Amino acid sequence: MEFKIGDLAHLLNAEFVHSLGNDSILIRIDGKDHMLKLLKSGSDEFEFMLDNTFHHVKVMSSSSAEAKLVVDGQPVNVKKHSKLTEVLEKSSGMAGSGGGDRNLTSQIPGRVVSLAAKPGTQVKKGDVVMVLESMKMQVAVKAHKDGSIKEIKVKQGASVARNDILAVIE
Amino acid sequence: MHEEKIKRLAQLKKSAEGGGGPDKIEAQHTKGKLTARERISLLLDEGSFVEIDKYVVHRGDDPTVKKHYGDGIVSGFGTVNGRQVVVFAYDFTVLGGSLGEMSGKKIAKVMDHAMKIGVPVIGIIDSGGARIQEGVMSLDSYGDIFFRNTQASGVIPQITASIGPCAGGAVYSPAMTDFVIMVENIGQMFVTGPEVVKEVLSQEVSFEDLGGARAHATKSGVAHFVAKNEYDCIDKIKKLLSFIPQNNLEDPPMVESSDDPNRVDSKLASVLPEAPYQPYDIKEIIKSIVDNGDFFEVHELFAENIVVGFARMAGRSVGIVANQPLYLAGALDINSSNKAARFIRFCDAFNIPIVTLVDTPGYLPGADQEHNGIIRHGSKLLFAYCEATVPKITCIVGKAYGGAYIAMGSKNLRADVNYAWPTAEIAVLGPEAAITIIHRKELKSSPDAAAIKKRLAKEYRDKFANPYIAAERGVIDVVIDPMETRPMIIRALEALADKKESRVWKKHGNINL
Amino acid sequence: MKMSKISSILIANRGEIALRVVRACKELGIKSVAIYSDEDVRAVHVKRADEAFHIGPAAPAESYLNMNKIIETAKAAGVDAIHPGYGFLSENENFASLCEKSGIIFIGPTSKAMEITGDKMKCKEVMKRAKVPTVPGSDGIVEDVEKAADIAHRAGYPVLLKSAFGGGGRGIRLAKDEKQLRQEFEMASAESRAAFGKAALFVEKYLVKIRHIEFQLIRDSHGNGRHLFERECSIQRRHQKLIEISPSPVVDQKTRERVGEIAVRAAAAVDYLNAGTAEFLRDDEGNFYFIEINSRLQVEHPVTELVTGLDLVKLQIAIAQGEEIPFNQQDLRMNGCAMECRINAEDPFYDFAPSVGPVPSCNIPYGPGIRVDTYLYPGCTVSGYYDSLVAKLLAWGRNFDEARRRMKNALDEFQIEGINTTIPLYRTIMDEPNFVKGELSTDYLERYRVMDRMREDAKEEAKKKASAAVAAVLLQSELVKKAKAKGAGAAMQQKQPSRWKHVLR
Repeated sequence: MEFKIGDLAHLLNAEFVHSLGNDSILIRIDGKDHMLKLLKSGSDEFEFMLDNTFHHVKVMSSSSAEAKLVVDGQPVNVKKHSKLTEVLEKSSGMAGSGGGDRNLTSQIPGRVVSLAAKPGTQVKKGDVVMVLESMKMQVAVKAHKDGSIKEIKVKQGASVARNDILAVIE
Repeated sequence: MHEEKIKRLAQLKKSAEGGGGPDKIEAQHTKGKLTARERISLLLDEGSFVEIDKYVVHRGDDPTVKKHYGDGIVSGFGTVNGRQVVVFAYDFTVLGGSLGEMSGKKIAKVMDHAMKIGVPVIGIIDSGGARIQEGVMSLDSYGDIFFRNTQASGVIPQITASIGPCAGGAVYSPAMTDFVIMVENIGQMFVTGPEVVKEVLSQEVSFEDLGGARAHATKSGVAHFVAKNEYDCIDKIKKLLSFIPQNNLEDPPMVESSDDPNRVDSKLASVLPEAPYQPYDIKEIIKSIVDNGDFFEVHELFAENIVVGFARMAGRSVGIVANQPLYLAGALDINSSNKAARFIRFCDAFNIPIVTLVDTPGYLPGADQEHNGIIRHGSKLLFAYCEATVPKITCIVGKAYGGAYIAMGSKNLRADVNYAWPTAEIAVLGPEAAITIIHRKELKSSPDAAAIKKRLAKEYRDKFANPYIAAERGVIDVVIDPMETRPMIIRALEALADKKESRVWKKHGNINL
Repeated sequence: MKMSKISSILIANRGEIALRVVRACKELGIKSVAIYSDEDVRAVHVKRADEAFHIGPAAPAESYLNMNKIIETAKAAGVDAIHPGYGFLSENENFASLCEKSGIIFIGPTSKAMEITGDKMKCKEVMKRAKVPTVPGSDGIVEDVEKAADIAHRAGYPVLLKSAFGGGGRGIRLAKDEKQLRQEFEMASAESRAAFGKAALFVEKYLVKIRHIEFQLIRDSHGNGRHLFERECSIQRRHQKLIEISPSPVVDQKTRERVGEIAVRAAAAVDYLNAGTAEFLRDDEGNFYFIEINSRLQVEHPVTELVTGLDLVKLQIAIAQGEEIPFNQQDLRMNGCAMECRINAEDPFYDFAPSVGPVPSCNIPYGPGIRVDTYLYPGCTVSGYYDSLVAKLLAWGRNFDEARRRMKNALDEFQIEGINTTIPLYRTIMDEPNFVKGELSTDYLERYRVMDRMREDAKEEAKKKASAAVAAVLLQSELVKKAKAKGAGAAMQQKQPSRWKHVLR
């Protein structure tokens, strides 16, 4: 299987070779064999020795296309099926159109301090739609594209989490 | 020694796995669609797929129709996250994914296989329709598939992924499956396509508007889920499977939950606004009481005045049904009755307990509802609740008036445990409507009707807008502090885990379809 | 001021500084009383203090900034003194005055001294008269944006818009031209009002390629003033300090004595009491300009503690009791080099977006020369209601290089799960060649494109971890197949025998 690690250009080719029993498995990465000895496995967390180096990996999220990991304290994104992803990017789905693109999402968790626009307002990319406050910092949320505000999904004073949809711009 | 034969097999295997040929695969990819085999490889655990009927070819009389190994269907069995499933996928690169006699037999075979071993069936639709050259035999195939859909219905879960066209009679198979996931801009389903619509009715409508994912998710309710893209579709199938059992004899899978079953939420009561008719999002309550706020909503865009979906409570899979005050004030109507009734019947068929949250002012009035049969459709919801023998736990959080109160899992529909919040209002009618009827004479004769109405409405509210009258009669088992909703429901679920309830034998009831 | 023994202290603060004060109290045998809001019920300072009182809901205005409630609690608890920590009410002269009136010792300067130091303009006036060199800019508060534009035009852009009642870098905005000045004027006023309850701005010329060097001060009620050497805090982002170092690479002993003396003079000019800091800007020619006196114990005080061996919190308490400072200026020696990295719950890869939530586990570093002041512990929660500082990581070495290497190592060991932190940024800085040479300035991050460097470093790290990452993904799918792994989408296999097989149909 092919994997894309973070932003690295080089795709890693890796596969499971076979199990050696005793919690050891043999895997092949880019044609080279590696011994993996599983030391501890919990829900979404592994400790293992890869060749002679200890690693601790936590799986933050895992879907068909992508796994978000923390490897030895480092966040690493692993994208699987990159060839298929290339195909899918041709159809509008991956490019984030349809529902995805209309949504203005929050980059931070926080509270809505003030709303600068209401449904019907015409906005240009970069216009301030609302102001959030978090950890004593005020952050302006700007429109991610030109269009008109179809819906403001939050009220003043509401708490939002990262990636929550704040508004819909059509 | 037999190397020649083994080599030949390898060649045939390569040919079979090449679908309709590299050009056709290229065309599929250019449209931004994956091939049937690619989709199966995303769905199933790596290396678990056993393909059967790989070398089946068609027996049609028309010599111009090329014979392809597999005949346009890729089918077999494998595991999803370690659980056995059966899968079939239409291969659009072969003869446009059209269904003929042999390809139909392939689907029938794997469905039979699924029934033998008791595992879910996942169908991936990407098909141009019936293979015209094979004539009535292709129609025969559809019939065979439809029959098996019905035989399997309520026995093993059936999931359809619409990642391409599906037209004409073929759409009835997905319609009879339990869940349909359509991929935006790619999945399409309609009985008669836009060209025929234009010819016969002179109506111009695009493929997407007529039968695309959004149309079916919002208007017709045919689609239970809209997936952003093929990855999302596969992820949704996997997530759905994680909540449901393999077959109707198994319990749904239980996981170890990291969310404390005794977790109380003191902020729950404040979700309800002070003023009685102010809208609020019932999903805030749902997310608070389920494990890790993880609520997998079904039919999210259809009949938004009711919310249904799966979640876990203390690791147990449950089906949630809840009125949504954000839309139509949470009133019940034709579409929401249908949506909830079907969901309840699925949960009942597959041993999934049902948790109901109630806040509804009643049924939506109007000639439109009446003439379209709210009487018939509304009765389905009542029927479904009564029919269900899985554990049923109801919690009234806000209004519960009249017939809607009864319909939403009330005690007499044989709900097992009925809770109510102190903010619950259980009455025959809401205050304004009730006053108009009870005090009609007084209001007619009085010069200051508005003020009297206001005063009487307040009196009515003070007297009836509480759950205690119902609690005094045992119609509500106990009034609970909102912050304890989660632990109380979980304890009820634990108590009801081995619930046994029988019904009189019958071939099947006559639910008002 | 007469001597008065303090036997109990209420700590009007939270987080790591509250724990710091609790520790000093324990050393002195003083009863420590903590206060906490709804958010901090399970905070470490609440657990360690001798007593803890609930002070209100999460919002600072209703809890840690609620003066009346705090005084009420202090009286009910019968404490002798209140330590305000830093931030919150530490530089609020009304609060200090309220303490004085309630007969509670305020561990810090007098309300009178705070009134002067709190008003940046007034303070500047006092300093000018005391012949302490200051930065060119507005002579007083600028009420409206037109006046501000006028002064800015005369002093020359770029200028800084500062809140007259600011501190800790809040309420400071940079304006490169008039258009930006007008935009920022509004937001700066709002922020100032939100953080300190009032909005009054003044304009100051923005000096370029400058170093921020401050002197720790301590002054008792007998008129004795000392400086405890300098700290260089040049590495900043949006006027918030990121790293503090003592000694400064560009301050030699002569300069130290010269400017230290000016700092002590500044403290005397406002009749300062207790601990404080005199902040200076040093331009590329070596000129020092007085900026302000921070009339509180600062976040970075441990840096000074490490190079002097003194305990500043205990000194504060001693002074508050009316004691004399127990050493002369000549007695003080600087030992080695110390630096501090402020670990914030922000994502440096995402424009420092705040990161909140539970911290299921964390690995706090230790070893030779390492000190960590933090409120983190496995299972704690980082709240979005308060500032983003979650830990102060300090390293001491015999010289700058040793301290730097120890810091790098400690940063590598510091693992915090559940939130994003600025640790990756500091790891990059520790090895950045200009930092290694001591080439610091307030525009350090932009000048040497440190953020880009950080992203490059992350890519390199990802490369090193690539094999392990891929191995983990393969491992997970193997385990899932055997239904041994639990996790997203994977459901535990039924252990009991299948009913399907055994039921006759």
